[in-house]
Amino acid sequence: GDSWGIFTFLCAALCNLPALPALNCSEELGAGQSIQQTYDLTRYLEHQLRTLAGTYLNYLGPPFNEPDFNPPRLARAERVPSATVDLDLWRGLTDNARLAANYRAYSRLLCYLRVLDGQVGTAELRHRLAHFCASLQGLVLSIGGVMSSLGYPLPAGPAGPPAGPPGAPPAPNDFLKKMDDFWLLKELQTWLWRSAKDFNRLKKKVPPAVVTLRLEARGF
Amino acid sequence: DIHIQYERVGADVTMKCGSMDWDATVTWTANGTDIDESHLNGSYLILKNVDLTQSGQYSCYEGSSWHLKYQTYLRVGTPPREPVLMCRSNNYPKGFYCSWHLPTPTYIPNSFNISVIHGTKEMVCEKDAVPKNRCHIRYLQLFSTVKYKVTLTVTNALGKNFTTLTFDEFAIVKPDPPESVVAKPVPNNPRRLEVSWQNPSSWPDPESFPLKFFLRYRPLILDQWQHVELSDGTSHTITDAYAGKEYIIQVAAKDNDIGTWSDWSVAVHATPWTEEPKHLTTEAQITETTSASTSSFMVPPTTKICDKGAVVGSGAVAVCWTAGLVVAAYSVLFI
Repeated sequence: GDSWGIFTFLCAALCNLPALPALNCSEELGAGQSIQQTYDLTRYLEHQLRTLAGTYLNYLGPPFNEPDFNPPRLARAERVPSATVDLDLWRGLTDNARLAANYRAYSRLLCYLRVLDGQVGTAELRHRLAHFCASLQGLVLSIGGVMSSLGYPLPAGPAGPPAGPPGAPPAPNDFLKKMDDFWLLKELQTWLWRSAKDFNRLKKKVPPAVVTLRLEARGF
Repeated sequence: DIHIQYERVGADVTMKCGSMDWDATVTWTANGTDIDESHLNGSYLILKNVDLTQSGQYSCYEGSSWHLKYQTYLRVGTPPREPVLMCRSNNYPKGFYCSWHLPTPTYIPNSFNISVIHGTKEMVCEKDAVPKNRCHIRYLQLFSTVKYKVTLTVTNALGKNFTTLTFDEFAIVKPDPPESVVAKPVPNNPRRLEVSWQNPSSWPDPESFPLKFFLRYRPLILDQWQHVELSDGTSHTITDAYAGKEYIIQVAAKDNDIGTWSDWSVAVHATPWTEEPKHLTTEAQITETTSASTSSFMVPPTTKICDKGAVVGSGAVAVCWTAGLVVAAYSVLFI
């Protein structure tokens, strides 16, 4: 009801805002936003997604809910940011690049998920999606907070309006639309697995003490 | 000219003596032993419903001259049943390996062909020299959303069969068990055991891909295991061991976030430290010894109001109420 309206407004606003200035972000999130908390959030989301994906794929029906379903990746699916990366490249990412990749990916995935939310049939699914979107928004903010506290600039705002980047046509039929949804959930799941590893690496390289120190230097 | 003939178990086999006519006079031998004429149809050798024992060398000699006219090796076997295939990544993120075997022997030579398809790409699974029937693949990309499809085909002279496995990169991650598990008693601590272990050596990057561990332990005399899950570190101190009892301890490993638990490590045995038994000469010294012990089954001297006979002893659980409270207090102090 009411909260739904507020939520949609917030989502729309956040989806289209340019990157929040670093100062505001830290203020909003408070001091001590650590990498550990972000890591924990990715694990929580991964767990939540398992239930959500199960419900959603059942809603899509066969073959999407079959465990062996292994469709080829269509060109149109490339819109969704992929977590797949060359091993050596991934190892060599700087902290900034690593965090930025996560930030960009989840911002875009969130936009796509919200489009999904608007179209979905059952009340149960809408409720689950809304809850998940809220948690995912929390993750984006959390990553942004870590970046700001480390002195990194936030990447430019999420790509394009919810309909997708310009030039990408909407699904021409129901089956392809379902395929899009399938790949969205798959990419989201893979990103959450990847993020756990990304934040593991960051944890080792940037202990929480460093994060708080920098905040102190800024006078917080 | 060497001939080898493969036939199915239970089949009827007809062997011709090379280019000899049907009505020629010949003698057949199996591994050098003459074969009775009743098995012959003219110069053809008929073997009905062959079994594995009939594998061997069959030779055909011309009747009078005893010239060797034909020789063949008969191998009786079966076409392959569906092979058993397993793929696993014990060295994530380097890659994975697949290993296979036949559920039942075929008794004749088999050849295996394995194909690995990732999306549209065909990948090469490099065969290992040792052990046989195993190959490994290096990941080119990490965090892939596309599944891997592995198909194993087994072929022999009598037929072929195959099996397929389809899986996600994350699903097959299973480390090897932890290595060098060591359990030691802790001096002056009758209820403690210090356990330490190492990451499996096959796990290439524990820094970026940390492992978590599962420890299980029980005294040999009990069947019920105690479990502890540890999210970091490669050591743990057990603090609730029963005094003087020998323990069996095992550890398993898992990637912190993905995949499944390893098998249990090799079991280690250890007994907590026990005090050297003092030479008992007087009643007073006996009381002193029992009150110094911290086993939860030993009753402190202040509870002499209870029936001592019912309480002292390692198996005794029946303590009266006040004794129970005092024991609880003692245990809290010593843990």
